[in-house]
Amino acid sequence: MKNLVYLSILFCFVCWLGGCDQKPAIEPSGKTIKIGIIAPFSGPVLAYGTEGLKGMQVAMQLQPYLDNGNGIELVVEDDKNEPALTVRLLKKLVKEVKVSAIITFSSTSPVLAMAKVADDYKTPVIAAIATNPDITKDNGFISQLVFDDNFQGIVAALFVRDDLLIDTVAVFNNPTSVYSSHLAAEFERKFKSIGGEITDTISLTEETADLSKVIKGVYDHTPELLYLPISVKDVIRVIREVRKLDWTPKMMGGDGLISTMLGQHKEDIDLVNGMLATDSFAHGMPLTPFGEGARDLYLDKYEETRTAYAALGAEGYAILLNAMNRCSDPADRGCINRQIRSTTNFPGILGNITIGPNGKSQRALIINSIQNGRSKFLFKVY
Amino acid sequence: MAEFVASALFVYTDDTKHLIKPVQNHPSGTRISAVAFEVLMQKPQEELEGVDHVVVAGSLDVIKEILRLAMKYRFSIGIIPTKKQKHLIKFYDLPKNPAAAVELALRQDGQNIDLILCNEEIMLFKAAIGRIPFLDTPAKASWIQVLLNALRKFVRFKLYTFRFGTAAKKEINTAASGCMILQHARGSFAARLISHDYSFTDGMASLVISAPISIIEYVKLLRQALRSSKRFKNLPSSIGYIKSPQIDIEPETGLDVIIDDQLTTQTPLHCETIAKAVRINVGKSLQEESRGAKDVRERIDVENLPTEKELLKVKKQKRIPFFSYASDERFHDLYKDLSEDARLNSIYVVLMVLSTMLATVGLYLSSASVIIGAMLLAPLMAPIVSLSMGILRGNIDLFKNSIGKIVIGVFIALISSALITLLFPYKPITDEMLARLNPTLLDLAVAIISGIAAAYSKSFREIIQSLAGVAIAVALVPPLAVAGIGIGRLDFYFFYQAFLLFSTNLVGIIIAATFTFRVLGYSAVVRSKRSLVVVFVFLVLISVPLYLSFSRIVEDRIFEQNLRKERFLVNEKYLIIIRASIIWRGDKRIILMDILAREPLTREDLNAFKKKIQTNFSKKLIIRLKTFYIP
Repeated sequence: MKNLVYLSILFCFVCWLGGCDQKPAIEPSGKTIKIGIIAPFSGPVLAYGTEGLKGMQVAMQLQPYLDNGNGIELVVEDDKNEPALTVRLLKKLVKEVKVSAIITFSSTSPVLAMAKVADDYKTPVIAAIATNPDITKDNGFISQLVFDDNFQGIVAALFVRDDLLIDTVAVFNNPTSVYSSHLAAEFERKFKSIGGEITDTISLTEETADLSKVIKGVYDHTPELLYLPISVKDVIRVIREVRKLDWTPKMMGGDGLISTMLGQHKEDIDLVNGMLATDSFAHGMPLTPFGEGARDLYLDKYEETRTAYAALGAEGYAILLNAMNRCSDPADRGCINRQIRSTTNFPGILGNITIGPNGKSQRALIINSIQNGRSKFLFKVY
Repeated sequence: MAEFVASALFVYTDDTKHLIKPVQNHPSGTRISAVAFEVLMQKPQEELEGVDHVVVAGSLDVIKEILRLAMKYRFSIGIIPTKKQKHLIKFYDLPKNPAAAVELALRQDGQNIDLILCNEEIMLFKAAIGRIPFLDTPAKASWIQVLLNALRKFVRFKLYTFRFGTAAKKEINTAASGCMILQHARGSFAARLISHDYSFTDGMASLVISAPISIIEYVKLLRQALRSSKRFKNLPSSIGYIKSPQIDIEPETGLDVIIDDQLTTQTPLHCETIAKAVRINVGKSLQEESRGAKDVRERIDVENLPTEKELLKVKKQKRIPFFSYASDERFHDLYKDLSEDARLNSIYVVLMVLSTMLATVGLYLSSASVIIGAMLLAPLMAPIVSLSMGILRGNIDLFKNSIGKIVIGVFIALISSALITLLFPYKPITDEMLARLNPTLLDLAVAIISGIAAAYSKSFREIIQSLAGVAIAVALVPPLAVAGIGIGRLDFYFFYQAFLLFSTNLVGIIIAATFTFRVLGYSAVVRSKRSLVVVFVFLVLISVPLYLSFSRIVEDRIFEQNLRKERFLVNEKYLIIIRASIIWRGDKRIILMDILAREPLTREDLNAFKKKIQTNFSKKLIIRLKTFYIP
């Protein structure tokens, strides 16, 4: 009897150590559900797709099956971040491949194009990195995983004004980019409304000639900060001109800056050292258990610096599977869409994510400083 | 002007044959006849007839034989040392230079010196019995040599029981690892220990006894040995010393006796000093020393050595223990003080009432200085330290008295503060009270450190004034007063948390003081394991709520720290958290925040902010805000 008691205690202890309360392993059913991925894997912003896919693959390794044992098959399509191609691929994946849901790592313009026809295909789309607030407007199937540019622009303006205590800012934008012009406008609006002064608003495109003259003009108005929600190539061009003037103003960029730098412009990473940026990810922040698992696996697999795109990829996959698991038929597009849009407090990489019925996500935004090729966490904004 | 002997017999061996000519041709004019040692020993009487002075050059054994003959035939001796005979040179202060050595050997101003015979063997420098770490370490040994020697000798180190007898028929029963008889052994650690008290012309033999009863004592002895060339005013705590014309050594078991670095005989050992046994030509410094020599009495300095019950313990031990132990007699003064501290008296009661009243009023006033005054006035520390000693030594009287005194003190404190609380018309909860409601493992750490300090201060009279600092650090009465206030308010949470803090301090001090007394060597010869077990059980029991409390505080502090790096966007209003702190009221977690905002916050904003906090952190958080506006 005494031995039995000891054995029971030992068993309980071993259970406690080994985690007997963990979920039992899932038995594969042999069926597969297809998830489409539309992202640029070539062209000027291929980092969106390549990095995002890495994150998805890590998440897939952590969770290869749905709770009912169905496997997941990723069908990957390269849209080169071109809106027309994005729409064609959407049609292909829905009609021909018959995917149950789509995750896209394309930027605002292709996703806006997709938004116009999303209701026709009645297939849930998770836009992992597109931040324009209009992508969820006028359709019931595109859900936004990342914060939108209204939130991002307002936070950036308030941070600059109230945390950095800066009064004067010069804003750069690219009028050919919906993302850039919207974010710049939102920043400008908010900054002015709280008493800040915009010394210059510079429209910058690849065709802009005599950039040094433009920057000299900005310099003469002595702004304390340059707000640069423009492409990474343009950021690099601006910084080079600024350095020529031996000028060291504070600079702030938009989301994805560091990820694109790491993915495609590693050789110029020193140029952006010290720059501030709004993002959805930062190194050195406390991670959720899901985040820790994904990080460890990512480092094992890729042995390189993690990016925000990879983090969003992992989160997008996990949220999609979570939604599928809550459907009696995990391949039912309508159900998946409803469940995505009722995601509440889902533990992402850094914290909770909620996606409302309007497809908008509520999640924290991170303000980083880029230090030695890494995004160093400064503040988290809810 | 030096005077030389008129004639002398030069005794040589094969190794020193070459000295015949230098000795014979020495300008002193002394007539020298030379004889080989072997020839001399065949017919000593014949060879030594009419000889008043012998010059000898040979091994130590040869010299010892000549000394034996000198005692019998009463001739004086001159010694010519070889270069290798460093001990001999040092011992008799002989010149290293052969010519000077010959000159000294032929002089006629020899000194009468004592000889020690141990079991009939002549001992010139030293005799070692058993394990004598450090005692025979040369003074000029490097610290590495001393350390290696210490480690080597520590293997299989143990104590034996010994019986020592003296000429005055005194008998000393003790325990020791070994001992060493010295005859003016210059330079060793043992010689430094008794350097003020030995001579080769006083008719006495000096016996140094080594008895490190614990590893701690062994290390202490090592530390003293490492202090090179320092002379000792007092004997170290594990050393005994006997000086007598006759010494008998009888250990419990037969031990080898190494005389002048040669295994010569075995115990039991009888050593006898033959005063002024021979006349030898020695160096200048020894000549002066012998002129200043006085008659001395037998001396026995063995207070540091184990006696009575301690001997019984030694017999049972296979190896020396880590910590020292002591019989009641050994720490008589401290024991007397602690017994006094454990006794209940009216002064204690009055001081307890006054200090609690002062602490209670100070707590209501939230006045740190008044509370510190109460800490200094409180007499609780003394019986707690006595209790520690009672536990360590398993002394039931000390244990009962001190625990009784503590319980009465606690009772008085609780009643006093509860009564004051009942009498007060206004009962605010002050910051000073709140500060005593969240005991953690850190408080236990403070108590442990204070307990060590208390026991240490109590053990050394010269630092006893430090106890006041200890009393302030550990603060026994204020938590008791808060617990009493809890009783007065009929608030169990208040009472429990404050009493937990007091119990933490109490257990921490007891454990630490017990341990400290043990390290300092106050363990009883026969330890009471049961009392130690009881205290450790209390420690474990009290550690559980403290650990939980500590984990909660760590979690709260991390949360507070993280919040300072977090911002909230509420209806386009940017809220910066400049300070956040978490307090607990019962099981309710309240977060107090100072926030910075540019625009006025409406009820709607506050609700949205609360929702964000509760969504992202914890739904159970109760939020209290103070807003600062950016103009």
